Amino acid sequence: MSASSSLSAPDVEPRFFSRAQWASFLIPTLILAALLPILNAVLPDGHWLKPSIFTLNLYGKYATYAVLALGVDLLWGYLGILSLGQALFFALGGYAFGMHLLLMIGKDGQYKSDLPDYMVFLGYKELPAHWEPFYSFPFAICVVLLLPGLIAFGFGWLAFRSRIKGVYLSILTQALTYAAALLFFRNDFGFGGNNGFTDFKRVLGFDLNSDETRRGLYIASVVLLAAVFLLYRWLTRAKFGHLMQAIRDGENRVLFSGYATARYKLFVFVLVAAITGLAGALYVPQVGIINPSEMTPEQSIEAVVWVAVGGRGTLLGPILGALFVNALKSWATRAAPELWLYIIGGLFIVVVLFLPGGLISIPGKLKAAYAKLTAPKPPAAAASSSAGTLH
Amino acid sequence: MLRLLALSLFLVALGLLRPVANAAEAAAKTSARAQLIEALLAPTATQAAAIRSLVGLEDAAIAPALTAWRAGELYLVTLTDGTRAPATLTPAPSAEGQLVALSVDNGTPLLDPATSRPLLFAPKQLKPLDTSALLRRAIRDVLEVAGVSDPNPATRRESIERLGQTRKAEHLPLLQTRLEIEKIPAVRTTLNDAIAFIQLADADPQVRLAAISSLASAHSLSAAARFKEALAATPAPPAAEAAAMQTALKKIEAHWQVVNFFGNLFRGISAGSVLLLIALGLAITFGLMGVINMAHGELMVVGAYATYVVQNIFVSVFGLGSFGFNFYFLAALPVAFICAALVGLLLERGVIQFLYKRPLESLLATWGVSLALQQTFRLVFGPANVQINAPAWLQGSAAVSDVLFAYNRLFVIGFAALVVLGGGLVLNRTSLGLLVRAVMQNRQMASCIGVRTTQVNMMTFAFGSGLAGLAGACLSQLGNVGPSMGQLHIIDAFMVVVSGGVGNVLGSVVASMGIGTVDQLLQPVLGAVMGKILVLFAIILFLQWRPGGLFPTRSRSLD
Repeated sequence: MSASSSLSAPDVEPRFFSRAQWASFLIPTLILAALLPILNAVLPDGHWLKPSIFTLNLYGKYATYAVLALGVDLLWGYLGILSLGQALFFALGGYAFGMHLLLMIGKDGQYKSDLPDYMVFLGYKELPAHWEPFYSFPFAICVVLLLPGLIAFGFGWLAFRSRIKGVYLSILTQALTYAAALLFFRNDFGFGGNNGFTDFKRVLGFDLNSDETRRGLYIASVVLLAAVFLLYRWLTRAKFGHLMQAIRDGENRVLFSGYATARYKLFVFVLVAAITGLAGALYVPQVGIINPSEMTPEQSIEAVVWVAVGGRGTLLGPILGALFVNALKSWATRAAPELWLYIIGGLFIVVVLFLPGGLISIPGKLKAAYAKLTAPKPPAAAASSSAGTLH
Repeated sequence: MLRLLALSLFLVALGLLRPVANAAEAAAKTSARAQLIEALLAPTATQAAAIRSLVGLEDAAIAPALTAWRAGELYLVTLTDGTRAPATLTPAPSAEGQLVALSVDNGTPLLDPATSRPLLFAPKQLKPLDTSALLRRAIRDVLEVAGVSDPNPATRRESIERLGQTRKAEHLPLLQTRLEIEKIPAVRTTLNDAIAFIQLADADPQVRLAAISSLASAHSLSAAARFKEALAATPAPPAAEAAAMQTALKKIEAHWQVVNFFGNLFRGISAGSVLLLIALGLAITFGLMGVINMAHGELMVVGAYATYVVQNIFVSVFGLGSFGFNFYFLAALPVAFICAALVGLLLERGVIQFLYKRPLESLLATWGVSLALQQTFRLVFGPANVQINAPAWLQGSAAVSDVLFAYNRLFVIGFAALVVLGGGLVLNRTSLGLLVRAVMQNRQMASCIGVRTTQVNMMTFAFGSGLAGLAGACLSQLGNVGPSMGQLHIIDAFMVVVSGGVGNVLGSVVASMGIGTVDQLLQPVLGAVMGKILVLFAIILFLQWRPGGLFPTRSRSLD
C-alpha cells in the first residue's frame, strides 16, 4: 500500500492552500471567531439569530477538544503512533493554568484566605514554594507549554530510541496516563486530590462569569483551533509531512534510507504534547474545573474515538469527529443516560468495522457509489481503483 | 418448691425428648439450667447471690439468657396454670404481628399447658425483667467467666484473652484449672499467655521474671505494648525486670518483623497469582494472536457474575451456609469458564475476526465492546457491588508460627499453578495446541498446509476468554464484584504480558509474580497507591531498557 500511495501522491503542491481552499478555511473561521461573538454581543435577548452565551461557551469547549483531537490525529493518522496519553498532556496544561487561576482567586474563596480553598481545608499554613511563580501569567503559560512537552520528551526519547512502537507504545502510554491519574487522585500529592481545582473567579483581571470574558475565551479557543489547523496543515504538506506518512507506512524503509526516524517521531510527539497542553489551559477556564478524571486512559481513548469517527489521516476529520461525538454526548447523557455507553461503544465498533475512513469519507463513498450506479460498464477497473484508495 | 419440682420435671421431660448422648451429661445440664431458672425467678433480696452461684457452671444456656437480661430482652411469662417462666421473644414479629415466647433453657417456643400451643404476645405487651446495678455486676462476673468454658474454641480464646487483660489475680485459679483440662493447642497458648499476663503483676519477683520470659517466647504483641508502658512508667521496674523486658521487647519485635515480611511475601505471591490468572488469558489472545482485547477485563467480570448466579442458585436450592452450599464454588468454576468462553466466541465472530491485520483498531473496537458490556452488567445486576459469600472451606486461615495463610489466597495460588500447568499442557501437548502454535508462527503457511485458521482462531480466543472467566471466579472470592471491576485489573494485566515478553507463558509467570510481590512489599512502606504508581513507572522504564520484555521472542523479521 505504500507503493500505491507514493504513486498516487504527486501532491507535493507548490501552494499551501489553493484559492478555493483558503476561502473554505477563512469563511467558517471568520463566522465562528467573529460573527457569532458579535451577534451575541449586539443582538437583543430572544432574537432568533442570537447565539446564547451558553452556546458560545459550549463551542469554545468543543474547539479545545478539537485541538486535542487534531493532536491525536497528527500522531495516529499521519505518524502511526496511537498515543493513549494525550488526555494526560491536555490535563497537565489544564492543571498548570488552573494553578494560576486558583491563585488569582485571592481572598475571594470560601475561607477568605490567600491560600486556595483546598489547601486551607487540608491544613496548609503557607503556599508551597513551587506555587509562588504561578502568580505570573506568562510563567503559567510557559509551564502549560513546557511541562507536557518535557514529559513527552522524556517518555518519547526513551520509547522511540528503544524502538517501541505500535501496540506496545499504546499500552505504555496508557500505563503512564493511568499512573499519573492515580498520583493526581491522591490528596497528599498536593493538587487537590479527586476534587481538583475549581471555583475560579478571574483571568487576567477579567471576571470569569461575565459575558465579555466568556466571549473572549471562546474567540481565543477558535483562533487557537484555526492556528493549530494551519500549522498542522503546513507540517503535513511539507516534505516533513511526507516523511511522517512514510514512517507510518514503513518505518524500516525510511530508517534504512538514512533518516533518523526516532527524532522525527520525538519532534512531533513533543510538539503535539505542548499544543495539547495549551488547549487544556483554554479548556479549564471555560468549564471552570479541572480534576484527575480528565487525565484517565478512558479520556484518551475517547479522544481517539473522535478522530476515528471523524476520519483519521485528514485534518478536517478530527474536528468534525470531536464536534459530532461531543454534541451526541451532551444530547445522549441528557436524553438517555443509560444508553450513552451503548451508543459510544457501538460507534467505536461500527466505525472501526464499517467506516475506517470516518464520517469524512462518506461523501466520497457516496460519490463513488453514484458513479458506479450511473456507469456500470467497466466493473474491473472500478474495483481495482477503489481497492487502491482504501488506505 | 412444688412449683420448682414441676418445672424441673417438665425440663427433664423436654431433655428426654431431645437426642442426648449421655444421660449423666443431660442430668448435669438439667441441674445447671434449673439453677439458672431458679436464679432468674429468685426474690430480689437473694437474686444477686443466686446469680453469682452460677459462676463456673458450664452450660450453653446461661450466657445467652444473661446477655438478653442485661440488654433488657428477657421477660417473665405467667402461664395459665399460674407458674411463671422466664422467656425471650422472637426478634421479628410473625405475619399477624405477634411475637413467640421462647423458653430460656432450650430456645423452643413456650407452650401453653392448657392448649399445648405456643404462647403469642403483641410487641410491647410484656415488660422486660428489670436489672439493678448490683444484679448487673453479678451478671458481668458470670459472663466474664462463662466464656472460658464456652464450647466454641474461638469464643473461649476471646474471653480468656479478655480475662488476661483484666490483670486480676482472682481469675488465676480459674485459668489454671482450665489449662489442666484444655486440649486444643491454640487455646492452651492463649491460656498460658493470659496467665503470664496476670502474673506480671505478681508479688513474687521470680514469678514476674518467669512471666516476662514466657510472654517473650510467645511473641505476644499486647505484652510488648505493656512492657513499653512499664519501662516508660515513673516508678521504673527493678533493674533485672527492666533488662528482661528490654530483651523480651527486642525478641518480640524481631519476630514480628520476620512474620510481617513473610506475610507480605505471601500476599504478594497470591496477588501475583491473581494477576497471572488474568494475564494468562491475555497472554494467549494478545501474545499469541496479536489481538488487543480491551474487553478482557469484562470477560473476567462475566466469570465473576457467573459465580454469583451459581451461588444464588445454590442458596435457593440448599439454603445459605448449608452443607451443599459449600460446593457452589466448584460448580461455578466450569460455568464461569464456559460463560466467558461463549462471550469471547461471540466477540471473536462478531468483531475481532475482521481485525487480525489491524491490531490498533482491534484495541478501539474491543474498547467499545467493553463499554457496552459494562453497561449491560449495570443494567442486569445493578450498579452496586453484589454480595458473594465464600464457602466455608475458603474462609479462615492457617497460621504457621504467626504467619497467617488465608485459605482463599492459598486456593488462588494453587489454582493459578494448576491453570498455568493446564494451559501449558494444552498448548504443548494437544493437537489443538499444535495448531494454535502453527497459526501463531505463520498464519499463511499454516493455512496453506490445511490448517483451518478461522476455526483455530475461534478456539484460541474462546480458550483465552474462558481463562479470563476462571480468573473472575477466583477474584470473586478475594474482592468486590461490580460492573467496573474489570477496569481495575486490565492495565496491570497488560503490563504483565508486555513486561514478561509477548507470547511467552513463562514470562507472564515471572512478571506477574515479580509485580505482585514488589507491589505488596512496597505497600507497607509507601502506601497502597504510591507503591502501585512506582511499580508502573518501574515497568515503563524497564521496557525502555528491554523492549521485548523479560523473555523476548527471537525472530529475524523486522516488524
